[in-house]
Amino acid sequence: MNTLIDPQDRATLVAASGRLDFEASAAFQKELEAAIAAAAARKAAVIVDCAGIDYVSSAGLRVFLVAARAAKGASVAFAVHSLTTAVKEVFDVSGFGRIIDVLPDHASAMTKVGAGA
Amino acid sequence: MISLVEELVLLAVEDDGKIAYTAGSHDFSMALVGACLVELNLAGRIDADLETITILSREPTGNVAADAVLRQLDGSHASVRQQVRELQAQSGELMKATLASLISRGVLEKTEARFLWALRSRRYPIVDGREQKEAKLRILSILLSEDLPTPHDTVLIGLAFAGGLLESFLTRRQIAQLSDRIGEIGGLDLIVRGVEAAIRDEAELRAHVMMLSVH
Repeated sequence: MNTLIDPQDRATLVAASGRLDFEASAAFQKELEAAIAAAAARKAAVIVDCAGIDYVSSAGLRVFLVAARAAKGASVAFAVHSLTTAVKEVFDVSGFGRIIDVLPDHASAMTKVGAGA
Repeated sequence: MISLVEELVLLAVEDDGKIAYTAGSHDFSMALVGACLVELNLAGRIDADLETITILSREPTGNVAADAVLRQLDGSHASVRQQVRELQAQSGELMKATLASLISRGVLEKTEARFLWALRSRRYPIVDGREQKEAKLRILSILLSEDLPTPHDTVLIGLAFAGGLLESFLTRRQIAQLSDRIGEIGGLDLIVRGVEAAIRDEAELRAHVMMLSVH
């Protein structure tokens, strides 16, 4: 799994790609937690672009819960967007959309976290 | 710190050391198997999605109940829903192993008494009650707040509800009032979702068998 982190003025953009399974989950969790901590210091939001994530397992899904908890604890706005069909199905079944903001695209995610133009 | 499986079993121990009646149900049996699957997932022995369980390693975790489930997984890539239904018959052994583990940790004691001169009554009095009280308080605190739970508490709440254990410290009315929040939290874990589906399958099957026997 690959992750690109781009800290911008009002939001840190995280672009992840590959399989989010048990093997990838610990490293991705560390990266997200570090991005959230850094964003908290800058009073910025964190937005995760999931367009490149083609698979999420139970272990991978927990990473989003841990990240959402960390963001809430640090008062950092947190959103994900551009879910692939497979990942969207997992989010729908588990009801993750009820605890984190899931948006269709980057622009709507930026607006949602208050970092839009 | 006690494990998820141990915490779930501890919720089934009543104040007088009796094991709750609920613990004999199909629902609890499947919740217990589900807890073992989550332990295995957290320990990196399996991974799961909506369709399959994948075995990552056969190395024992040290949790006797979870390791018993790991040995039973045949690598056929069955779903959580299927495996939970297949393995529920092992729940008596899983319960026994987990009670033994809680006794060895000093959380429970084991006492035996006879009544009517012959019938044995086995009880598991809680030693100081700290672990059980802590689990119940954590569950209540999450259910009554808008906080996001940890993955551990997500599973504990989902499986305690699925296994009928919340009734040991909440009234049915309270559970009904909290049902949206319970559903929201428990559903966040894919393995818990699989357990819930297995419980629904079993209930439908039993209802079907009952209908057939009536006609």
